[in-house]
Amino acid sequence: MNAPTSRPARVAGAALLQLALVAGVVSGQLSARLTGDEYTLRVEPLDPIDPFRGAYVTLDYPDLAATNDGIAGEPGDLYLPLVADGEVWAAGTPTRARPADGPYLACDDRDWRVECGIESWFLPQDDAAELEDAIRDGDVVARVRVDDRGHAALVAVTVR
Amino acid sequence: MDTTSQAVSPRQLAWLRDELPRWQAQGLVTGEHAALILDQYRAVRRAGLARLTLYLGAAFVGVGVIWLVAANLDQLPPLVRFLVVTAFWLGATAVAEVLGSRSAAGDGPASPTTGAARGLAALAFGAVVFQAAQSLQVPAYEPALVGVWAAGALLYAYAVRGVAPLLVGLVAGLVWLLWHVAENGGSGLGVVLALTVAAAAAAGAAVLQERFAPAEFAAPWRAVGAVLALSGLFAAAVPDVTAGDFAPDRLSWVALALGVALALAAAGLSRGEARLEPLVALAIALVAAGLVLWDPGTRAGDRVGLEDWLHAGVSITAYVGAATCVAVLGIQRSSQRLTYLALAALVVFTTFQSFAVFAQIIEGAWLFVVLGLVFLGSGYLFDRARRELTEAVAA
Repeated sequence: MNAPTSRPARVAGAALLQLALVAGVVSGQLSARLTGDEYTLRVEPLDPIDPFRGAYVTLDYPDLAATNDGIAGEPGDLYLPLVADGEVWAAGTPTRARPADGPYLACDDRDWRVECGIESWFLPQDDAAELEDAIRDGDVVARVRVDDRGHAALVAVTVR
Repeated sequence: MDTTSQAVSPRQLAWLRDELPRWQAQGLVTGEHAALILDQYRAVRRAGLARLTLYLGAAFVGVGVIWLVAANLDQLPPLVRFLVVTAFWLGATAVAEVLGSRSAAGDGPASPTTGAARGLAALAFGAVVFQAAQSLQVPAYEPALVGVWAAGALLYAYAVRGVAPLLVGLVAGLVWLLWHVAENGGSGLGVVLALTVAAAAAAGAAVLQERFAPAEFAAPWRAVGAVLALSGLFAAAVPDVTAGDFAPDRLSWVALALGVALALAAAGLSRGEARLEPLVALAIALVAAGLVLWDPGTRAGDRVGLEDWLHAGVSITAYVGAATCVAVLGIQRSSQRLTYLALAALVVFTTFQSFAVFAQIIEGAWLFVVLGLVFLGSGYLFDRARRELTEAVAA
């Protein structure tokens, strides 16, 4: 058997493709982290546990569109332009067409909820409970990186 | 060590030793030929318990690593956690490769240590996917992550021709399919179509594996196809499963078309009776879709109309037919696993249908008496049918 099709070569090729799959499935968040700018949004708590990734806090964003009530057009891709509102950012008028310039969030409202890829904050279980209490008691904000295609990644959730 | 002879199990060699004198007596082979044939083989005892321990160990370590990811150990920064898990995965892959090379250098049966290491590498790849997603705060309950795990494990399985990673990939793929369909199916018909068309595709993959190597992959694909077909038909027979809200997106239609195309291509490329496997699976998909589309609509309150009985009757007949097909396949392929699967599916289906039908007209203790009689009857009929099928297939 010649070298390019030997088993070590196949295994190495498979491992590279597997790494590409990993990169592909997290590409939105990876791109936002590496190339995006940072914005601060206010958050509210929800909760629970993902079977493969553990405890997390589900975040709701009062200044973004929580559901697609009142938003025109067929559910699908939805874009939320970000507008500065004091120290934090809020959503402007949602659109079905990608805005010509940013910043904006690329979201999805195929379900009743508007999802922008920043709804979960994973952390140890004890910390999750503490964070929920902090969010209920205080004014908590999320720092989010957004790239020029609207991909968003949560960077931090902190009490102001 | 004799390196020209083929390693077989002691049981296989004992069978050959018993058979050769009979062949000699029938004049099929001479004494010299019998000795030459016997020289072609040597007995190698497989370490059954050691194999079990190795695979269990690999499964525990793999699941443990995924559990550690879920524990979200914040003593390490997210990037370091990802690098540690990735290093573990690559290490497991490299160790499996070294063990595989040593095993390939010998001529014995495939080493269970290599299989366990490959299984561990496939599980560890899942940990890499979940750690990457956790480190980057990808939203929770994302079925695509399990889908990527399945795709990666299958890729690795085909690269090394390893059954253990194939099993990991198929189980993860099943979890992804059920999860994705439950989340996006939108209707009973969507779920039934996804399960049964995936079953046809898996049956197609099984016969393609037999035609084109690695042939040892055929059995796992076939088992997955049988589980999906029986699950899909089960769902189709549930009276409340309807076609309401059936509105698949373009991607779902493409996936369904690819599944059907794979099954048809497999039927075209395979030979003999094997081509029936994907075609029967497609027929099951059609019957299942028909059962869902057929809405008796005569139910008023607790009353069961004539058309409901007819629907239940056709559903039971179709399910018994599908289970019989799986049982026949099990006998043809000498796979007790498939035969037991068919029996188990039939028992679960009979129980469910009995509760659905009899519970509305019989109460309390009598329900258990009737159910017991149904079990005894179906068990007796299945056992009798299995014996007759075995004789018919052997004839």
